[in-house]
Amino acid sequence: MKKGILVMALMFLFAVCPIFMQPQDGLCADPIVIGVPTSLYTPFGSYGLKAVNLAVEEINAKGGVPVGNVKRPLKVVVADTRDGEPGTPVHDALMAYEKMITEQKPAAIVIGAFRSEVLIAAMDLVAKYKVPHLGTIAQTPGFQAQFKKDPAKYKYLFRVTTDALVDATYIAHTLDMLKKDFGLDKILHIYQDTAWAKFFAGFLQKHCKETGWTEAGYEAYADGASDFSPALTKAKESKAQVIGMIWDVPLGAGVFAKQYVAMKVPSLLVGFIPPMGSPIAPKAVGPEVEYGMTVEFPVGATLALAKLPKTGEFLDKFKKKYGELPEPPAVNSSAYDSVFVLASAIERAGSLDPDKLVEALEKTDYPGVSGKIKFNQDHIMVFGEKSAEETGVCVVFQWQKDKDGNLKRVPVYPEFLAEGKILLPPWMKK
Amino acid sequence: MSLLIYGLINSVILALYTVGFSLCYGISGIANFSHGALYILSGFTAWNFLNAAGLPFYLAAVLSVMITAILGFLFYWVLLLRVRGIPLAELIVTFAAGMGMLELLTWKGFYGMRYSLPLFMKGGIEIGPVAIDFQRIFVVGTGVALVVFLWLFVHHTRVGLAFRAMAQNERTALSVGIESDWIGSLSMALGAALAATAAMVILPLGMMESSIGLEVLIYALAVAIVGGLESTLGMIVGSFIIGFGQIAAARYIGAKWMIIVPLAAIVLVLVVKPSGIFGKFKELEERV
Amino acid sequence: MAEAKVQRRRKRLDRGIKARTDTIFVIASKRDTLYLLLPRVLPVIALLILPLVLKGYWGKVLVFACMYGLLALSWDFMACCGLFSLGQALFFGMGAYIAGTLNHYFQIPPIITVPAATLGSGLLCAMLLGPVVRLKGVYFAMITLMLPLLLKKMIDTTGIFGGTHGLPSLSPFPSELVATYLAVVGFLACLFIFRRVINSDYGLVLRAIRDDDRAVMSGAINIYWRKIQAVFISGAVGGFAGALMTHHYQFLGLSTFALDYSILPVAAVALGGQGTFAGAAIGSLFLVPLSESLRALGGLRMAIYCGILIVSIIGLPEGIFHYMARKYHQFEKVVEVK
Repeated sequence: MKKGILVMALMFLFAVCPIFMQPQDGLCADPIVIGVPTSLYTPFGSYGLKAVNLAVEEINAKGGVPVGNVKRPLKVVVADTRDGEPGTPVHDALMAYEKMITEQKPAAIVIGAFRSEVLIAAMDLVAKYKVPHLGTIAQTPGFQAQFKKDPAKYKYLFRVTTDALVDATYIAHTLDMLKKDFGLDKILHIYQDTAWAKFFAGFLQKHCKETGWTEAGYEAYADGASDFSPALTKAKESKAQVIGMIWDVPLGAGVFAKQYVAMKVPSLLVGFIPPMGSPIAPKAVGPEVEYGMTVEFPVGATLALAKLPKTGEFLDKFKKKYGELPEPPAVNSSAYDSVFVLASAIERAGSLDPDKLVEALEKTDYPGVSGKIKFNQDHIMVFGEKSAEETGVCVVFQWQKDKDGNLKRVPVYPEFLAEGKILLPPWMKK
Repeated sequence: MSLLIYGLINSVILALYTVGFSLCYGISGIANFSHGALYILSGFTAWNFLNAAGLPFYLAAVLSVMITAILGFLFYWVLLLRVRGIPLAELIVTFAAGMGMLELLTWKGFYGMRYSLPLFMKGGIEIGPVAIDFQRIFVVGTGVALVVFLWLFVHHTRVGLAFRAMAQNERTALSVGIESDWIGSLSMALGAALAATAAMVILPLGMMESSIGLEVLIYALAVAIVGGLESTLGMIVGSFIIGFGQIAAARYIGAKWMIIVPLAAIVLVLVVKPSGIFGKFKELEERV
Repeated sequence: MAEAKVQRRRKRLDRGIKARTDTIFVIASKRDTLYLLLPRVLPVIALLILPLVLKGYWGKVLVFACMYGLLALSWDFMACCGLFSLGQALFFGMGAYIAGTLNHYFQIPPIITVPAATLGSGLLCAMLLGPVVRLKGVYFAMITLMLPLLLKKMIDTTGIFGGTHGLPSLSPFPSELVATYLAVVGFLACLFIFRRVINSDYGLVLRAIRDDDRAVMSGAINIYWRKIQAVFISGAVGGFAGALMTHHYQFLGLSTFALDYSILPVAAVALGGQGTFAGAAIGSLFLVPLSESLRALGGLRMAIYCGILIVSIIGLPEGIFHYMARKYHQFEKVVEVK
């Protein structure tokens, strides 16, 4: 008798169970998981993550991303690859990637690895697990080189930011302007001895040789360097008028900026020097940052441009949510855009199937904060210098004193974004 | 000319890195592999006093040195007490403590441009064609002062002699009444204070980040080994060799070889004369 | 009589079963045989079964643990000879680079590169460290600490063998199961071989060198040659680990000389107990999964990992293995001091 009742009860429960197990629409819709495996404790990673969260919040406020006919919210999961810290083995970073992919099963990955080395190693891993990957930090041209070796295998990987070639072109053209407008012609190159910076500097060197600049030196420094006095002394002694400096590790750049000031080197600083481009540079480095020119890639990362209102909007939203502006080396407008690119691709593909998603991503045509986002056949974003409606753009800006004597960052190149002309420091006028 | 001046400055900076480490290891025989971490920690402590509490830099620097000294003292009692005498464990424990501190700092977000200490005085002078800023001159001055202080302390004060006694033969020192735990913790505290002082004058030259901690440790090891543990003169000579070597290499071979110089120097010295140039630890320790 | 204060001390005695199992008559009793066999056999069986159970990410963690275990074993072997090394990364990186470059530039399959890397790494490291084996203690440790850094910077600066970028897309093993089993079997074989060697006559000489090298010298034995041999063996084992990792991850880079690979084996041995290879093995099998499972904590991971390491070493300075062995073989009683 009791057994009978028990059996009846169990059968009843089994019959009723499926009602509780129905997926419900709306609040309980399955979120789309976005993975962010990156070096979370460096400016690139932490500000990039903040930008991604900002974008995800905006999308979720509108109900989420429509997949087929169900709107699903986005959810961000993070993994710290620690590849921004010196001494982290690549294998360690790859384990973080793999753990996230196998346990959290993200529909896509954004931001991606910070070190170029790790990114290239991760390409095989990502291809094996077939996860669409939108990289927004690593700038090395090695990405394309590896991609070309087997496009079918690596088709899941995209880059939604610049690479060293783009940045170098911008600086090269700025140098052209300097030559044309002011007749400067002596340059000393200093660069960080990592792959992307080598490429950047090599491109600049070639360009300078072709356009008639005299090269006072071409100095490579290991990325852990903390003393640039030999190169700065050389610049002083050879009376180089321009120092082309390419550096991304914030530590070395900070030392360099301070040493440049301390040694009173009478040369114009042009290049990519994050501390010189930061909003707090006048306070951190000093008023001597005036006249220094830095390239910001892509637009919107840290400077609001009058001619591109979207950058101002993005930075305002960022400041409102986090209380501060992002620091310059962080390519966070790319991170922000990549989420929207992903959302639009999901919508067009109508599903989260990786292959369909990749097809939709390849056809991306999205106006983002960093310009118009389109991918070429190597899966990298196209950048140009003419218009933000056609391609992605970067900007070169110079610190100048405004009417009240405050130092402001004034965009000087490309022309369609410029808000002022390049000024030569008074101690350089002949 | 600039080679001389910047070589000098670089050497003094290296000597400053090493002074605290050599006190602990060479003189008291305590391997303090968290030296680099204490260096950076003092920097961030000073920054916090400066920015969060709004104190003037002098006060912040002094307070930070004191706090780091206390931390060094505590390190001995908490970490090293139980494992004294097992060199392997000492090494791992101090190294892990250092690493742990550095990671905690990174986790709290202490990286980025705004973590920078102000210079003591701005401006500079020109010696011939070379411009030097006052801060670097201050660094050289502090370096000289600290080294002289170390030498005097270790050779002429009771406590300093007690330090050396502990390194030479702990048992005999005990039998003379030198209490090894107390002296050991004092030496760690002093080593930490020296590291903090070095940090206060050197860190304003650049920015602060946890990765400096590891770098400082390696440089300190390099200079201590090259010059010879236990010998203050050796430490000076060692730092000069490496310091000038780096600048010369940067000038004449190429800047990217700068990092290789200290490493190659260590390997060379250890192969040729293991106790270092002026080391007195003789054959019993390093030989056969 | 005046009441003297009673003082107590802990007295350790061998367990009865330990005394019984010290002789040949252990085989007469199943229980005694099990007492001896179980602690040795169970972990081995467990390790051999694990690759079938753990797949994907945790399978990789197992390989990782075995690799670090190999490095820890090689460290312990050198320590048994009196060579205190802080540079296992040198062996690891050598093996990795030899295997990686052979595979990348000459397309040689893993089945040949791995043995080649093992031998090559042993030879090269023996040659590199040959001139310095006469050093003792901290000086030898310094050289071994500096050498991998030096090599790393040299490769970085000169850009050979892939430079900063490294060499990607190397050929993998036929299947993940093969790779995992290769790692586990290699690790167990190494553990077994080392334990046998150190207890043999050859090992006796090595241990004597650690205890008192002058005495050994006075016995007309060339201690330098023996030390170089010890370095060769350790280098070979470390190189095997490096080559295995390179092919498993299909990537070769500068980071194979990372400080991590030097410090973690030392920490594993410090945790597990120096002197017995089982300690090194236990230490690494404990530390690596710990480090991986702490990933969930995000940024505090390394800080907590270091904290756990410190607490374990302070709490058990002799090491886990020695503690466990002592508890297994002996029991304690509190007695009065008379």
